[in-house]
Amino acid sequence: MHLLMTKKKRFSPVSIALLFFFFSVIHAWARVDDTVVPSPVAQAEEISVAGASASDAEEDDWIDEDSWDDDWEDGEVIADPLEPLNRLFFHFNDKLYYWVLKPVARVYSGVFPEELQIAVRNFFDNLRAPARAVNCLLQGRVRNSSQEVVRFALNSTVGIIGFGDFARDILGLDSSNEDTGQTLGYYGAGGGFYINWPFLGPSNFRDSIGKVGDAYLHPFIFLDVDWEVTAGAWVLEQVNYTALTLGDYELFTETALDPYAAVKDAYQQYRKGLIENK
Amino acid sequence: MIRNIMLQHKNGVVIILLTMVCHIFGAGSAASAKGPMDQLQVAVDEIMAILQSDELMGTEQKEKRKQMVLNVVVDMFDFREMARSSLGPSWNDLTAEEQDKFVGLFTSLIEERYIGKIDSYNNQKIIYKKERVKGSMAIIYTAIVDKELEIPIDYKLKEDQGKWLIHDLKIENVSLIANYRREFDGILRKEQFAGLVKKIEEQLEN
Repeated sequence: MHLLMTKKKRFSPVSIALLFFFFSVIHAWARVDDTVVPSPVAQAEEISVAGASASDAEEDDWIDEDSWDDDWEDGEVIADPLEPLNRLFFHFNDKLYYWVLKPVARVYSGVFPEELQIAVRNFFDNLRAPARAVNCLLQGRVRNSSQEVVRFALNSTVGIIGFGDFARDILGLDSSNEDTGQTLGYYGAGGGFYINWPFLGPSNFRDSIGKVGDAYLHPFIFLDVDWEVTAGAWVLEQVNYTALTLGDYELFTETALDPYAAVKDAYQQYRKGLIENK
Repeated sequence: MIRNIMLQHKNGVVIILLTMVCHIFGAGSAASAKGPMDQLQVAVDEIMAILQSDELMGTEQKEKRKQMVLNVVVDMFDFREMARSSLGPSWNDLTAEEQDKFVGLFTSLIEERYIGKIDSYNNQKIIYKKERVKGSMAIIYTAIVDKELEIPIDYKLKEDQGKWLIHDLKIENVSLIANYRREFDGILRKEQFAGLVKKIEEQLEN
Protein backbone atom coordinates (compact mmCIF):
# COMPACT_ATOMS: atom_id res chain seq x y z
CA MET A 1 0.00 0.00 0.00
CA HIS A 2 2.98 2.28 0.54
CA LEU A 3 3.78 1.99 -3.14
CA LEU A 4 0.58 3.84 -3.80
CA MET A 5 1.73 6.67 -1.65
CA THR A 6 5.31 7.04 -2.79
CA LYS A 7 4.75 6.67 -6.50
CA LYS A 8 3.93 10.13 -7.78
CA LYS A 9 1.46 10.01 -10.57
CA ARG A 10 1.30 12.74 -13.13
CA PHE A 11 -1.95 12.85 -15.06
CA SER A 12 -1.80 14.85 -18.26
CA PRO A 13 -4.98 16.67 -19.29
CA VAL A 14 -5.20 14.42 -22.35
CA SER A 15 -5.20 11.24 -20.31
CA ILE A 16 -7.84 12.67 -17.98
CA ALA A 17 -9.99 13.59 -20.98
CA LEU A 18 -9.55 10.09 -22.39
CA LEU A 19 -10.43 8.55 -19.06
CA PHE A 20 -13.52 10.70 -18.83
CA PHE A 21 -14.54 9.73 -22.34
CA PHE A 22 -14.01 6.07 -21.54
CA PHE A 23 -16.20 6.23 -18.47
CA SER A 24 -18.86 8.21 -20.29
CA VAL A 25 -19.07 5.38 -22.80
CA ILE A 26 -19.29 2.83 -20.01
CA HIS A 27 -21.91 4.97 -18.36
CA ALA A 28 -24.00 5.11 -21.52
CA TRP A 29 -23.61 1.40 -22.00
CA ALA A 30 -24.48 0.60 -18.41
CA ARG A 31 -27.60 2.69 -18.72
CA VAL A 32 -28.83 0.31 -21.42
CA ASP A 33 -27.75 -2.80 -19.62
CA ASP A 34 -29.23 -1.72 -16.35
CA THR A 35 -28.73 -4.79 -14.26
CA VAL A 36 -27.49 -4.73 -10.72
CA VAL A 37 -25.58 -7.80 -9.73
CA PRO A 38 -26.97 -9.06 -6.44
CA SER A 39 -24.47 -9.63 -3.70
CA PRO A 40 -23.19 -13.18 -3.20
CA VAL A 41 -25.07 -13.30 0.08
CA ALA A 42 -28.30 -12.18 -1.55
CA GLN A 43 -27.77 -14.71 -4.32
CA ALA A 44 -27.38 -17.50 -1.83
CA GLU A 45 -30.57 -16.41 -0.11
CA GLU A 46 -32.36 -16.28 -3.41
CA ILE A 47 -31.40 -19.84 -4.20
CA SER A 48 -32.67 -21.04 -0.86
CA VAL A 49 -36.14 -19.60 -1.48
CA ALA A 50 -36.16 -20.26 -5.21
CA GLY A 51 -38.48 -23.20 -4.71
CA ALA A 52 -41.39 -20.93 -3.86
CA SER A 53 -43.26 -18.92 -6.47
CA ALA A 54 -40.32 -17.03 -7.87
CA SER A 55 -41.98 -14.45 -10.09
CA ASP A 56 -44.59 -13.01 -7.79
CA ALA A 57 -42.58 -13.64 -4.66
CA GLU A 58 -41.33 -10.09 -4.78
CA GLU A 59 -44.56 -8.24 -5.14
CA ASP A 60 -47.09 -10.32 -3.28
CA ASP A 61 -45.32 -12.35 -0.65
CA TRP A 62 -43.06 -9.60 0.59
CA ILE A 63 -45.09 -9.17 3.67
CA ASP A 64 -46.25 -11.72 6.15
CA GLU A 65 -46.57 -11.47 9.87
CA ASP A 66 -43.03 -12.73 10.45
CA SER A 67 -41.07 -10.74 7.90
CA TRP A 68 -43.01 -7.65 8.80
CA ASP A 69 -41.64 -7.94 12.30
CA ASP A 70 -38.23 -9.48 11.63
CA ASP A 71 -37.13 -7.15 8.89
CA TRP A 72 -37.65 -4.21 11.11
CA GLU A 73 -36.85 -5.25 14.57
CA ASP A 74 -34.49 -8.16 14.80
CA GLY A 75 -30.97 -7.00 14.34
CA GLU A 76 -28.00 -9.04 15.43
CA VAL A 77 -26.51 -8.14 18.76
CA ILE A 78 -23.15 -6.53 18.14
CA ALA A 79 -20.24 -7.91 20.15
CA ASP A 80 -18.66 -5.34 22.40
CA PRO A 81 -15.64 -6.78 24.18
CA LEU A 82 -14.09 -3.32 24.47
CA GLU A 83 -17.14 -1.83 26.16
CA PRO A 84 -15.37 -0.12 29.09
CA LEU A 85 -12.87 1.51 26.76
CA ASN A 86 -15.56 2.30 24.19
CA ARG A 87 -17.67 3.96 26.86
CA LEU A 88 -14.69 6.02 27.95
CA PHE A 89 -14.16 7.25 24.40
CA PHE A 90 -17.88 7.83 23.98
CA HIS A 91 -17.78 10.03 27.02
CA PHE A 92 -14.72 11.78 25.65
CA ASN A 93 -16.39 12.43 22.28
CA ASP A 94 -19.53 13.62 24.04
CA LYS A 95 -17.54 16.19 26.00
CA LEU A 96 -15.60 17.12 22.89
CA TYR A 97 -18.92 17.81 21.19
CA TYR A 98 -20.37 19.99 23.93
CA TRP A 99 -17.21 21.81 24.94
CA VAL A 100 -15.44 22.30 21.64
CA LEU A 101 -17.23 21.24 18.50
CA LYS A 102 -20.64 22.72 19.25
CA PRO A 103 -19.47 26.18 20.38
CA VAL A 104 -17.14 26.41 17.38
CA ALA A 105 -19.86 25.23 15.00
CA ARG A 106 -22.28 27.81 16.39
CA VAL A 107 -19.88 30.65 15.73
CA TYR A 108 -19.11 29.15 12.33
CA SER A 109 -22.76 28.95 11.34
CA GLY A 110 -23.29 32.50 12.56
CA VAL A 111 -20.55 33.72 10.23
CA PHE A 112 -21.13 31.57 7.15
CA PRO A 113 -24.58 31.29 5.58
CA GLU A 114 -26.20 27.92 5.06
CA GLU A 115 -25.64 28.01 1.29
CA LEU A 116 -21.92 28.21 1.88
CA GLN A 117 -22.03 25.38 4.42
CA ILE A 118 -23.79 23.20 1.87
CA ALA A 119 -21.15 24.13 -0.71
CA VAL A 120 -18.38 23.14 1.72
CA ARG A 121 -20.14 19.84 2.39
CA ASN A 122 -20.38 19.26 -1.37
CA PHE A 123 -16.67 19.97 -1.72
CA PHE A 124 -15.70 17.30 0.82
CA ASP A 125 -18.29 14.92 -0.53
CA ASN A 126 -16.87 15.31 -4.02
CA LEU A 127 -13.44 14.24 -2.76
CA ARG A 128 -14.94 10.89 -1.80
CA ALA A 129 -16.24 10.24 -5.30
CA PRO A 130 -13.18 8.16 -6.31
CA ALA A 131 -13.71 5.88 -3.30
CA ARG A 132 -17.40 5.59 -4.15
CA ALA A 133 -16.66 4.83 -7.80
CA VAL A 134 -14.18 2.08 -6.94
CA ASN A 135 -16.48 0.52 -4.35
CA CYS A 136 -19.51 0.60 -6.65
CA LEU A 137 -17.41 -1.22 -9.22
CA LEU A 138 -16.22 -3.77 -6.67
CA GLN A 139 -19.85 -4.47 -5.84
CA GLY A 140 -20.73 -4.99 -9.49
CA ARG A 141 -22.66 -1.75 -9.80
CA VAL A 142 -21.15 -0.65 -13.09
CA ARG A 143 -23.71 2.02 -13.77
CA ASN A 144 -23.42 3.63 -10.34
CA SER A 145 -19.64 3.51 -10.65
CA SER A 146 -19.53 5.26 -14.00
CA GLN A 147 -22.08 7.73 -12.67
CA GLU A 148 -19.69 8.57 -9.84
CA VAL A 149 -16.86 9.12 -12.31
CA VAL A 150 -19.01 11.40 -14.43
CA ARG A 151 -20.13 13.23 -11.29
CA PHE A 152 -16.54 13.66 -10.13
CA ALA A 153 -15.39 14.94 -13.52
CA LEU A 154 -18.28 17.37 -13.89
CA ASN A 155 -18.49 18.62 -10.32
CA SER A 156 -14.72 19.11 -10.07
CA THR A 157 -14.78 21.30 -13.18
CA VAL A 158 -18.16 22.82 -14.04
CA GLY A 159 -19.22 22.48 -10.40
CA ILE A 160 -16.22 24.62 -9.34
CA ILE A 161 -13.96 22.08 -7.61
CA GLY A 162 -16.93 20.37 -6.08
CA PHE A 163 -18.62 23.27 -4.32
CA GLY A 164 -21.66 22.90 -6.50
CA ASP A 165 -23.46 19.68 -7.33
CA PHE A 166 -23.89 20.41 -11.02
CA ALA A 167 -24.25 16.73 -11.92
CA ARG A 168 -27.20 16.27 -9.58
CA ASP A 169 -28.93 19.61 -10.04
CA ILE A 170 -28.72 19.83 -13.80
CA LEU A 171 -28.34 16.26 -15.00
CA GLY A 172 -30.12 14.42 -12.22
CA LEU A 173 -27.12 12.17 -11.54
CA ASP A 174 -27.40 11.14 -7.92
CA SER A 175 -24.52 10.03 -5.79
CA SER A 176 -24.48 6.52 -4.38
CA ASN A 177 -23.37 6.09 -0.82
CA GLU A 178 -20.76 3.32 -1.02
CA ASP A 179 -17.50 2.80 0.85
CA THR A 180 -14.94 0.09 1.44
CA GLY A 181 -16.61 -1.12 4.64
CA GLN A 182 -19.80 -1.72 2.67
CA THR A 183 -17.88 -3.58 -0.03
CA LEU A 184 -16.43 -5.89 2.60
CA GLY A 185 -19.96 -6.39 3.95
CA TYR A 186 -21.24 -7.08 0.44
CA TYR A 187 -18.80 -9.97 0.17
CA GLY A 188 -20.11 -11.39 3.42
CA ALA A 189 -17.78 -9.88 6.02
CA GLY A 190 -19.59 -9.40 9.32
CA GLY A 191 -19.12 -6.21 11.26
CA GLY A 192 -16.97 -7.78 13.95
CA PHE A 193 -16.85 -6.10 17.32
CA TYR A 194 -17.90 -2.56 18.05
CA ILE A 195 -15.31 0.18 18.28
CA ASN A 196 -16.02 3.69 19.44
CA TRP A 197 -13.00 5.64 18.27
CA PRO A 198 -11.95 8.83 19.98
CA PHE A 199 -12.62 11.76 17.58
CA LEU A 200 -13.97 9.46 14.86
CA GLY A 201 -16.96 8.04 16.74
CA PRO A 202 -18.86 4.78 16.27
CA SER A 203 -17.45 2.06 14.03
CA ASN A 204 -16.71 -1.63 14.05
CA PHE A 205 -13.81 -3.84 13.07
CA ARG A 206 -14.85 -4.22 9.44
CA ASP A 207 -15.65 -0.56 8.89
CA SER A 208 -12.42 0.55 10.57
CA ILE A 209 -10.50 -1.47 8.00
CA GLY A 210 -12.81 -0.01 5.39
CA LYS A 211 -11.85 3.48 6.49
CA VAL A 212 -8.20 2.71 5.71
CA GLY A 213 -9.25 1.60 2.25
CA ASP A 214 -11.30 4.76 1.79
CA ALA A 215 -8.35 6.88 2.90
CA TYR A 216 -6.13 5.40 0.18
CA LEU A 217 -8.80 6.27 -2.38
CA HIS A 218 -8.99 9.87 -1.15
CA PRO A 219 -7.36 12.48 -3.44
CA PHE A 220 -5.57 14.06 -0.46
CA ILE A 221 -3.73 10.83 0.15
CA PHE A 222 -2.96 9.77 -3.39
CA LEU A 223 -1.91 13.30 -4.30
CA ASP A 224 0.27 13.21 -1.19
CA VAL A 225 -1.04 16.42 0.34
CA ASP A 226 0.75 17.55 3.52
CA TRP A 227 -0.70 15.89 6.57
CA GLU A 228 -1.24 19.25 8.27
CA VAL A 229 -3.46 20.30 5.39
CA THR A 230 -5.28 16.98 5.50
CA ALA A 231 -5.84 17.28 9.24
CA GLY A 232 -6.98 20.88 8.90
CA ALA A 233 -9.39 19.95 6.15
CA TRP A 234 -10.75 17.13 8.29
CA VAL A 235 -11.38 19.51 11.19
CA LEU A 236 -13.11 21.98 8.88
CA GLU A 237 -15.29 19.20 7.53
CA GLN A 238 -16.32 18.17 11.06
CA VAL A 239 -17.13 21.73 12.08
CA ASN A 240 -19.09 22.28 8.88
CA TYR A 241 -21.01 19.05 9.35
CA THR A 242 -21.81 19.91 12.95
CA ALA A 243 -23.02 23.36 11.90
CA LEU A 244 -25.41 21.76 9.42
CA THR A 245 -26.78 19.26 11.92
CA LEU A 246 -26.82 21.30 15.14
CA GLY A 247 -29.33 19.87 17.58
CA ASP A 248 -29.61 16.39 16.08
CA TYR A 249 -27.03 14.83 18.38
CA GLU A 250 -28.58 16.44 21.46
CA LEU A 251 -32.09 15.33 20.59
CA PHE A 252 -31.03 11.75 20.00
CA THR A 253 -28.83 11.34 23.05
CA GLU A 254 -31.09 13.28 25.41
CA THR A 255 -34.09 11.08 24.64
CA ALA A 256 -32.07 7.91 25.04
CA LEU A 257 -31.81 6.19 28.41
CA ASP A 258 -28.35 4.88 27.67
CA PRO A 259 -26.95 7.10 24.90
CA TYR A 260 -23.95 4.83 24.39
CA ALA A 261 -26.14 1.79 23.75
CA ALA A 262 -28.52 3.81 21.57
CA VAL A 263 -25.70 5.10 19.37
CA LYS A 264 -24.14 1.65 19.16
CA ASP A 265 -27.37 0.08 17.95
CA ALA A 266 -28.20 2.97 15.61
CA TYR A 267 -24.77 2.61 14.01
CA GLN A 268 -25.32 -1.12 13.48
CA GLN A 269 -28.77 -0.61 11.91
CA TYR A 270 -27.60 2.27 9.77
CA ARG A 271 -24.68 0.33 8.31
CA LYS A 272 -26.81 -2.75 7.74
CA GLY A 273 -29.24 -0.63 5.75
CA LEU A 274 -26.43 0.82 3.64
CA ILE A 275 -24.89 -2.57 2.91
CA GLU A 276 -28.25 -3.98 1.85
CA ASN A 277 -28.87 -0.80 -0.14
CA LYS A 278 -32.35 -0.43 1.17
CA MET B 1 -74.18 40.89 -10.60
CA ILE B 2 -77.31 39.12 -9.44
CA ARG B 3 -76.78 36.49 -12.08
CA ASN B 4 -73.30 35.90 -10.79
CA ILE B 5 -74.53 35.41 -7.29
CA MET B 6 -77.21 33.10 -8.58
CA LEU B 7 -74.63 31.12 -10.50
CA GLN B 8 -72.41 30.82 -7.48
CA HIS B 9 -75.36 29.76 -5.48
CA LYS B 10 -76.26 27.18 -8.07
CA ASN B 11 -72.73 25.83 -8.02
CA GLY B 12 -72.92 25.64 -4.28
CA VAL B 13 -76.13 23.60 -4.43
CA VAL B 14 -74.61 21.23 -6.96
CA ILE B 15 -71.59 20.71 -4.75
CA ILE B 16 -73.73 20.03 -1.72
CA LEU B 17 -75.80 17.55 -3.70
CA LEU B 18 -72.70 15.84 -5.02
CA THR B 19 -71.27 15.59 -1.54
CA MET B 20 -74.48 14.04 -0.28
CA VAL B 21 -74.48 11.54 -3.13
CA CYS B 22 -70.87 10.67 -2.34
CA HIS B 23 -71.75 10.18 1.28
CA ILE B 24 -74.69 7.94 0.51
CA PHE B 25 -72.96 5.78 -2.05
CA GLY B 26 -69.43 6.05 -0.75
CA ALA B 27 -68.28 2.84 0.84
CA GLY B 28 -68.12 3.25 4.57
CA SER B 29 -66.33 6.09 6.28
CA ALA B 30 -63.85 8.37 4.56
CA ALA B 31 -60.97 6.88 6.53
CA SER B 32 -61.43 3.33 5.32
CA ALA B 33 -61.74 4.43 1.71
CA LYS B 34 -58.28 5.98 1.85
CA GLY B 35 -55.02 4.08 1.60
CA PRO B 36 -52.39 4.29 4.34
CA MET B 37 -50.25 6.73 2.39
CA ASP B 38 -53.17 9.13 1.88
CA GLN B 39 -53.98 8.97 5.56
CA LEU B 40 -50.39 9.65 6.52
CA GLN B 41 -50.21 12.53 4.11
CA VAL B 42 -53.38 14.12 5.50
CA ALA B 43 -52.00 13.93 9.04
CA VAL B 44 -48.58 15.27 8.05
CA ASP B 45 -50.20 18.12 6.10
CA GLU B 46 -52.23 18.94 9.17
CA ILE B 47 -49.07 19.13 11.29
CA MET B 48 -47.34 21.31 8.71
CA ALA B 49 -50.35 23.64 8.62
CA ILE B 50 -50.06 24.07 12.39
CA LEU B 51 -46.33 24.72 12.21
CA GLN B 52 -46.71 27.22 9.39
CA SER B 53 -49.78 29.11 10.57
CA ASP B 54 -49.08 32.76 11.29
CA GLU B 55 -51.18 32.78 14.44
CA LEU B 56 -48.97 30.18 16.09
CA MET B 57 -45.59 31.63 15.16
CA GLY B 58 -43.00 32.67 17.71
CA THR B 59 -41.50 31.15 20.80
CA GLU B 60 -44.23 32.38 23.17
CA GLN B 61 -46.69 30.16 21.30
CA LYS B 62 -44.42 27.15 21.52
CA GLU B 63 -46.46 25.30 24.14
CA LYS B 64 -49.72 25.84 22.32
CA ARG B 65 -48.16 24.73 19.04
CA LYS B 66 -46.72 21.69 20.69
CA GLN B 67 -50.08 20.71 22.15
CA MET B 68 -51.83 21.05 18.81
CA VAL B 69 -49.21 18.96 17.04
CA LEU B 70 -49.45 16.43 19.81
CA ASN B 71 -53.20 16.08 19.30
CA VAL B 72 -52.60 15.07 15.69
CA VAL B 73 -49.65 12.83 16.48
CA VAL B 74 -51.51 10.90 19.17
CA ASP B 75 -54.01 9.72 16.55
CA MET B 76 -51.29 8.61 14.15
CA PHE B 77 -49.43 6.17 16.37
CA ASP B 78 -50.41 2.98 18.12
CA PHE B 79 -48.45 3.78 21.25
CA ARG B 80 -49.58 0.72 23.17
CA GLU B 81 -48.38 -1.61 20.44
CA MET B 82 -45.13 0.32 20.13
CA ALA B 83 -44.51 0.13 23.86
CA ARG B 84 -45.25 -3.59 23.83
CA SER B 85 -42.82 -4.39 21.02
CA SER B 86 -40.14 -2.14 22.48
CA LEU B 87 -40.14 -4.35 25.57
CA GLY B 88 -40.18 -7.63 23.66
CA PRO B 89 -40.98 -10.78 25.63
CA SER B 90 -40.61 -8.93 28.95
CA TRP B 91 -43.97 -7.26 28.29
CA ASN B 92 -45.79 -10.47 29.19
CA ASP B 93 -44.15 -10.59 32.62
CA LEU B 94 -45.76 -7.30 33.61
CA THR B 95 -49.09 -6.86 35.38
CA ALA B 96 -51.82 -4.95 33.52
CA GLU B 97 -51.13 -1.98 35.77
CA GLU B 98 -47.43 -1.99 35.02
CA GLN B 99 -48.17 -2.28 31.32
CA ASP B 100 -50.41 0.79 31.41
CA LYS B 101 -47.80 2.73 33.32
CA PHE B 102 -45.11 1.76 30.86
CA VAL B 103 -47.25 2.76 27.86
CA GLY B 104 -47.66 6.21 29.39
CA LEU B 105 -43.95 6.64 30.01
CA PHE B 106 -42.97 5.31 26.63
CA THR B 107 -45.44 7.63 24.91
CA SER B 108 -43.93 10.64 26.65
CA LEU B 109 -40.44 9.56 25.65
CA ILE B 110 -41.40 9.28 21.97
CA GLU B 111 -43.24 12.58 22.08
CA GLU B 112 -40.20 14.25 23.55
CA ARG B 113 -37.91 12.92 20.85
CA TYR B 114 -40.15 13.58 17.90
CA ILE B 115 -42.03 16.70 18.86
CA GLY B 116 -38.67 18.32 19.45
CA LYS B 117 -37.66 17.32 15.95
CA ILE B 118 -40.97 18.31 14.37
CA ASP B 119 -40.83 21.76 15.92
CA SER B 120 -37.58 22.48 14.12
CA TYR B 121 -39.44 21.86 10.85
CA ASN B 122 -38.66 24.63 8.43
CA ASN B 123 -40.42 24.09 5.14
CA GLN B 124 -38.43 21.01 4.22
CA LYS B 125 -39.89 19.11 1.30
CA ILE B 126 -41.47 15.76 2.04
CA ILE B 127 -41.50 13.14 -0.69
CA TYR B 128 -43.99 10.28 -0.61
CA LYS B 129 -42.25 7.57 -2.55
CA LYS B 130 -44.37 4.44 -2.43
CA GLU B 131 -46.59 2.32 -0.27
CA ARG B 132 -46.76 -1.43 0.00
CA VAL B 133 -49.95 -2.80 1.42
CA LYS B 134 -50.95 -6.33 2.20
CA GLY B 135 -54.10 -6.98 4.12
CA SER B 136 -53.91 -4.95 7.29
CA MET B 137 -50.15 -4.32 7.08
CA ALA B 138 -48.38 -1.59 5.18
CA ILE B 139 -45.01 0.05 4.76
CA ILE B 140 -44.74 3.59 3.45
CA TYR B 141 -41.50 4.94 2.05
CA THR B 142 -40.98 8.67 2.33
CA ALA B 143 -38.06 11.07 2.47
CA ILE B 144 -37.51 14.54 3.81
CA VAL B 145 -35.19 16.87 1.97
CA ASP B 146 -33.16 18.77 4.50
CA LYS B 147 -30.41 21.12 3.35
CA GLU B 148 -30.35 19.47 -0.06
CA LEU B 149 -29.93 15.99 1.44
CA GLU B 150 -32.60 13.36 1.15
CA ILE B 151 -33.24 11.59 4.44
CA PRO B 152 -35.31 8.42 4.06
CA ILE B 153 -38.11 7.85 6.55
CA ASP B 154 -40.10 4.60 6.36
CA TYR B 155 -43.28 3.95 8.30
CA LYS B 156 -44.67 0.60 9.32
CA LEU B 157 -48.42 0.65 9.78
CA LYS B 158 -51.26 -1.63 10.71
CA GLU B 159 -54.93 -1.10 10.04
CA ASP B 160 -57.23 -0.91 13.00
CA GLN B 161 -60.93 -0.38 12.31
CA GLY B 162 -60.36 1.49 9.07
CA LYS B 163 -57.58 3.62 10.48
CA TRP B 164 -53.92 3.06 9.70
CA LEU B 165 -51.76 3.43 12.78
CA ILE B 166 -47.98 3.75 12.83
CA HIS B 167 -46.25 0.89 14.61
CA ASP B 168 -42.67 1.84 13.92
CA LEU B 169 -40.63 4.23 11.85
CA LYS B 170 -37.17 4.08 10.41
CA ILE B 171 -35.06 7.14 9.89
CA GLU B 172 -32.08 6.39 7.67
CA ASN B 173 -32.75 2.71 8.26
CA VAL B 174 -32.64 3.00 12.03
CA SER B 175 -35.81 1.59 13.52
CA LEU B 176 -37.10 3.51 16.48
CA ILE B 177 -38.58 0.47 18.20
CA ALA B 178 -35.55 -1.74 17.60
CA ASN B 179 -33.31 0.98 18.95
CA TYR B 180 -35.32 1.40 22.13
CA ARG B 181 -35.66 -2.34 22.55
CA ARG B 182 -31.91 -2.82 22.49
CA GLU B 183 -31.56 -0.11 25.10
CA PHE B 184 -34.40 -1.41 27.30
CA ASP B 185 -33.01 -4.94 27.10
CA GLY B 186 -29.71 -3.88 28.58
CA ILE B 187 -31.38 -1.98 31.41
CA LEU B 188 -33.93 -4.72 32.17
CA ARG B 189 -31.22 -7.32 32.46
CA LYS B 190 -29.33 -5.31 35.05
CA GLU B 191 -32.01 -3.36 36.88
CA GLN B 192 -35.33 -5.06 36.11
CA PHE B 193 -38.57 -3.25 35.35
CA ALA B 194 -38.40 -0.94 38.35
CA GLY B 195 -34.98 0.30 37.24
CA LEU B 196 -36.27 0.96 33.72
CA VAL B 197 -39.25 2.93 34.99
CA LYS B 198 -36.98 5.00 37.21
CA LYS B 199 -34.61 5.73 34.32
CA ILE B 200 -37.42 6.87 32.02
CA GLU B 201 -38.92 9.06 34.74
CA GLU B 202 -35.55 10.68 35.39
CA GLN B 203 -35.05 11.23 31.69
CA LEU B 204 -38.44 12.91 31.31
CA GLU B 205 -37.75 15.25 34.20
CA ASN B 206 -34.64 16.67 32.61
